Amino acid sequence: MENKFIVNIIHRPEMVPEYAEKVTGHGKEEDIGRKALLTESLDIFKTQQEIAHKNGLKTTIQMTYASLFNDEAVELAKADHEKYGDEIALSLLGLPCEEFRAKYKTKDFCIWMFSMEDKKAIVDDVFGKFYDRFGFYPESTGSYYMDAELINYIKEKYPMVKCAVATCWEEGPKAYHTCNNSWYTFMDGGPWAPWIPSKQNVHAPAANEAEDSGIVAIPHLSRDLLACYDGNGSNFGTHPQNVLRSMSYDSKTWEYPYLYNLIDQYRDLAKYNNGYAYNMMFVGPGWMNKMGRWEAPYELLLKSYEDGMAYYGQLKKEGKLDDMTMAEFADYYRQKKTLTEPECALWRDILYGSDKQLFWYCDPFMRVCANMDQGGAIVDLRPYAAKLEWPVGIGTKHVTDASYPFLIQEKYRAGYFTHYAGEGTVRSAKLTYKGEEVDLCLCRTKAHFSQEGNTRILTLDPVDIEFYDLTVKLQTKMYFEEGSSNIKIERTILEMSDPTAEVEINEYMVACYGTTEYSEDMSNITLTCTDGTNSKEIKYAYKCREEQMEGATEVISVIPEIETRVSLSCEKKDAVGYIKEGYAFSPMFTLGYTTKLKDKEVFATWLNLAKAN
Amino acid sequence: MAQSGKGKLNYRCPSCFMRDLDIDMFYDKEKKEYHCIRCQYVGTEEDVLEKNELVRFRYKDAMKRFTKFDFD
Repeated sequence: MENKFIVNIIHRPEMVPEYAEKVTGHGKEEDIGRKALLTESLDIFKTQQEIAHKNGLKTTIQMTYASLFNDEAVELAKADHEKYGDEIALSLLGLPCEEFRAKYKTKDFCIWMFSMEDKKAIVDDVFGKFYDRFGFYPESTGSYYMDAELINYIKEKYPMVKCAVATCWEEGPKAYHTCNNSWYTFMDGGPWAPWIPSKQNVHAPAANEAEDSGIVAIPHLSRDLLACYDGNGSNFGTHPQNVLRSMSYDSKTWEYPYLYNLIDQYRDLAKYNNGYAYNMMFVGPGWMNKMGRWEAPYELLLKSYEDGMAYYGQLKKEGKLDDMTMAEFADYYRQKKTLTEPECALWRDILYGSDKQLFWYCDPFMRVCANMDQGGAIVDLRPYAAKLEWPVGIGTKHVTDASYPFLIQEKYRAGYFTHYAGEGTVRSAKLTYKGEEVDLCLCRTKAHFSQEGNTRILTLDPVDIEFYDLTVKLQTKMYFEEGSSNIKIERTILEMSDPTAEVEINEYMVACYGTTEYSEDMSNITLTCTDGTNSKEIKYAYKCREEQMEGATEVISVIPEIETRVSLSCEKKDAVGYIKEGYAFSPMFTLGYTTKLKDKEVFATWLNLAKAN
Repeated sequence: MAQSGKGKLNYRCPSCFMRDLDIDMFYDKEKKEYHCIRCQYVGTEEDVLEKNELVRFRYKDAMKRFTKFDFD
């Protein structure tokens, strides 16, 4: 199969770039109608367009509200559409301008944060203005984030819209902290690559036609799936000036191989996704400001953009890249992917020299990250099966928090635990023998991807577990069956230094729920052990209680706040299922199974996700 | 003493950058030094540039060109 690597290049004539007025205009009274600012912004847009076209690339021009009042910006868009086939689309970024402020009496600029009433008014205003200027409605739109209610409204009123920029991958508390707790884009927990959002929650892909929102969503930039998970999302993406922001370039030679490695690793993901891979580059004009941006002078900002485009242009000339507009891409994606087909990424560190490797998996039922540097432990888990309705904006419970809640998040809730008291969220296993215990989180390994029918399989290199007088060679395999809403994890004892020995394995999952670092109220959670006939139950009250049951077919947690039912199950009759409540200093719960294993034996457990009724 | 302003570029505090914080510094033209509003870092432009090289220690592979992305 021939691989296809697609890029969407997007530019927006943003007349008042978010950064330009406040950051580079320091020392002046705010004036968003400044002539110099408007002229410079349009000049940057022109420069970006020229660079793309010079490299043989077509773009999607996302008109902003402010630019619709500017005759020159409108004419430029029409001309480039005619000459280069660029798509004229409409962004819901770039709202700020004198006209917007006068009409809406607010400095809010993020569409998802407005009240639903204002969202509708603004959408109608902006789409109407677009129609007045161009004589048609756009097929593509977007913002940093688009909530489900907003997309549903747009799709209902403007059914021709087929594509939208709908989230920034892992832009949440980390971005907030990086900006000294001032950047309120909380949108962790979404897909990193294009997807078809459900009508209930934009982050969660649709599982069937009834859930299909009717658009294809694309992420704002293609981000480093390792660096952005731990660090600032705005440092490590297909945005040349983001790479400068991270300082991961040579300050003397102005070289940044990391940018090309990032693009190439995305290209490489085609082998996990039936021959398809995707990139998105979207640099707002504020990043190419004449006054420079942070340490980078304008010349370096410009050079990095030219180099980035030149690389895409080179790939296109070599037949390794297809440039598409957003609307073209939406048509391609609808034809290429089925709703339940997952997105997979076996991702390696390309920056820090650690050789760490993560596996990201996303389908309509879950988003999962397994960390091979921790023996394949699941370190992030989002239960999309719940299709959680989570309205955001003024007048809702979540004014700014648009993140999809996690059950496991190793950065916000500790992961494999290394501190004094408490526990961290992770799905791993421990082996014990004669009083010694080893967690697989401490077994660094690598994984290999394969596919059998509709099941994606991750096969980890075997690891050696060394006890005082016994060495165990163990292999982990993870199975992701399309549409199953579960993950099967299989541990095989390949070899023991004493073939007659017997070790105990404890398959466990420590979890909680939340969207930030801070704990939520666990009081409504119920934990259950069941064998199908009998059950034992703990209603969470921070009392550190435990229950267990031999022959348990399932150990379950129901979390009403996120409408999620998560469980572990196994088919081994003599395995002991257990549930553990946490306590105030450790507001977690644990689900697990223990059993004995001998040489060559296999133990399989399933992690299951469902919507709690 | 007059108020501080922005320098010729928006230098960030190298000490805060090390803890993933982007904080623009302000320039004191009398003392010819940058200072951080959030932490206690103070330094000349030369010192800022020197520290910016130090913060790159974490990017061991920043200058390496990769041709293989799996471990197969």
